[in-house]
Amino acid sequence: MTRPVVVLVDDEPHILSALRRTLRREPIQLRTAGSPADAIALLDAQRAEGRPVSLVVSDQKMPGSSGLQLLAEVAERHPDTARMLLTGWPEEIAPSERARLAITAVVPKPWDDAEIKGAIREALGID
Amino acid sequence: MSTAATVRVLVVEPEAFDQRDPATRRALARLGDDARIEVVHDAGGVRRALSAAPCDCAVVDESLGAACLDLVSEISRTGTPVVYVSRSTGEGLPVEAFRRGASDSVRVGTDYGSALPVAVLDQIRRFRVQRERGEAAQRIEWLEALHETIVETIPAALAVLDGTGAVITTNPAFARLTGAPTEALRGRRLAELLPQDLGEIAQDAVRDAARGKASGPHLARWDDEAKEGEARAFDVRTEPLAQSRSLLLLSEVTEVERLLREVSDLRRTNENLIQNMNGGLLMLDASAAVRFANPMAEELIGAPVVGHPIASWLGAAADAEGALGRTLREGVRFRAVDAVVTRADGGALPVALSCAPLRDAEGGTRGAVVILQDTSEVKQLQRQVLQTEKMASIGQLAAGVAHEINNPMGYVHANLYQVGEYLDDLGRVWARVQELRKAVASGPANAAIADAARALDETAGDVDADFLIEDVGKAVRESLEGSERIRHIVQDLRAFSHQDTAERTPADLNKALDSTANIVWTMMKHTVTLQKQYAELPPVPCYPMQLKQVFMNLLVNAYQAVQARDGESDFRGEIRLTTRVADDGVSIDVSDNGVGIAPEQLSRIFEPFFTTKEVGEGTGLGLSTSYTLVRRHGGRLEVTSEPGRGTCFEIWLPLEPAGDDA
Repeated sequence: MTRPVVVLVDDEPHILSALRRTLRREPIQLRTAGSPADAIALLDAQRAEGRPVSLVVSDQKMPGSSGLQLLAEVAERHPDTARMLLTGWPEEIAPSERARLAITAVVPKPWDDAEIKGAIREALGID
Repeated sequence: MSTAATVRVLVVEPEAFDQRDPATRRALARLGDDARIEVVHDAGGVRRALSAAPCDCAVVDESLGAACLDLVSEISRTGTPVVYVSRSTGEGLPVEAFRRGASDSVRVGTDYGSALPVAVLDQIRRFRVQRERGEAAQRIEWLEALHETIVETIPAALAVLDGTGAVITTNPAFARLTGAPTEALRGRRLAELLPQDLGEIAQDAVRDAARGKASGPHLARWDDEAKEGEARAFDVRTEPLAQSRSLLLLSEVTEVERLLREVSDLRRTNENLIQNMNGGLLMLDASAAVRFANPMAEELIGAPVVGHPIASWLGAAADAEGALGRTLREGVRFRAVDAVVTRADGGALPVALSCAPLRDAEGGTRGAVVILQDTSEVKQLQRQVLQTEKMASIGQLAAGVAHEINNPMGYVHANLYQVGEYLDDLGRVWARVQELRKAVASGPANAAIADAARALDETAGDVDADFLIEDVGKAVRESLEGSERIRHIVQDLRAFSHQDTAERTPADLNKALDSTANIVWTMMKHTVTLQKQYAELPPVPCYPMQLKQVFMNLLVNAYQAVQARDGESDFRGEIRLTTRVADDGVSIDVSDNGVGIAPEQLSRIFEPFFTTKEVGEGTGLGLSTSYTLVRRHGGRLEVTSEPGRGTCFEIWLPLEPAGDDA
């Protein structure tokens, strides 16, 4: 059984490495991107390889762009890829925006290990 | 009219009589020394004599012949009586001479010497009487004309009334007042002619006058029919005249009354203003002692002040160099300068002090007018606004700082959690190590040792011990980096938020600018380059926290201006901080290459609540507060901007601030 591919996006490398630790034992294949542009490139490359990305988990505040902007682009170009947001200010994400982009979860930062694992599993349909 | 006893008599006779016939002159000599006799011989002599001085009488002698009748005509035309001296011997009168104007004639004969002076005297007397009568008549005529002019043109309404109060005659003003022509007024009674009040008062006055008593002045008023809501006022007087008649005088005083009322209204208004104005009003004499104070002034000071020197309460402002001192000394005016009243109870009250010199007729200063406005509430509000702005800025700052702390917090927290899990896993490996040590201790090589070693390998493989050992170090290093970042941010915050003391403190503005920039930097470093060009600055006496608030406002604005251009191709945001020594002070520039400010907005940016930012992004108080704070330091805050190119704010602060008004 091939593990679903999950892409983590954050401009802060230490966040990415901490998330890797958190999700080390999850039944997923983790890839990371340091910017929205890298993330889109990664998604495109994965699809070209026949290994499409199942889930994107993006930070909200990034230089030059926001997580919501990235997820909107993902929704347009990779509609089958599930979308999750990681943010220090979850209450700033308008419910309407969240519904429009069909974001499966908005996870607060700093995150709770069980919460983020549960949210990812739920988005991927893993028990 | 001449009252001198001298009379002048002109004698007209042939020149030859001078020697030959002195009869006329001898006869006239009997008139005495008071009579001056002047003898002429022809028309030329007559004219010269008459034009030199008036004559009382002329004596014309028939001996002059044909010319003498013409002379009679000429002389009598001047009004001078002529006595004709007849030489004829017949009984008849010299009719032709009388026809030509002679008043009398005397025949030369035996009684000539007495008849001539009698005739002359008689003519002189008649002439004088006649002349006096003429003068009197003229005088009466003149007086009558004067009287008529007065009566016709005087604005007062005049009426002569009989004993019953019926009109005998009136002047035009009276007719105008009643609205009836003069001739229609005769015989009418005052009560019918005048409006009620005036009619009654006039009637009473006339009754007094009929009893020989002057009456008035009385004041009568009634509503003006022409002007709604206005009353006309009259001064009413009567004078008794002969035959129980009386003269009624009505003078309109409406305008005078109105002016008097205006003056008294004005006085009352002034009085009201001064008594009730929401400010203390004081008048001082040249020695700065209080001569007058309104109730508010005494309330502000908290004691009766009249007669006391103002310096007891106004302290520094009343000094020679203070505003009030200069007004008294130099006559300079001041408007709403900040001052402090030391109240009678010892409390200090902030006031806005305005003062102007009181001038005497020669233009010298004889005192001052002082207005004190309680500004404690204004000061309180100002403090609140500043505080609000500060809180808003801090809120904005806090959001940025929180974001910056949140990221390291996020991974430090996650890493610690994972390190805990790693330790659990490594604990299991360590348990296997203990078991292996026990097996080894139990004796030389045996099966138990091999089992324990296998179990250790297995567990170590399960938990991926190699990775754990390697990664735990990495996790700790990364976490340390994160906590170091947090520590740094908190340090910047502490440097930034150092509270001000109550007095100006000499501060290194490069440091103050730097600590502020560091804080703001944490929220903007993603997209902006920060260039610093600091010159060596002397310490500036200031309230550092206030200046940091200004720096922060300018930096946040610069950051927002730069961010608004984010996304433009090839755009790289840049904020430049420059400090330098300039004009007895220091200058700090905060410039950016952001969107700039439109010229029509540039003039308004220092107004309170003026903002171009979205709701929630700014209070509209940042720049107005910055302006206020810089002004408090005796400095200047200026802006230049080019839309699409960037903006530069320049702060200048003096090294020796004038006065202390924080």
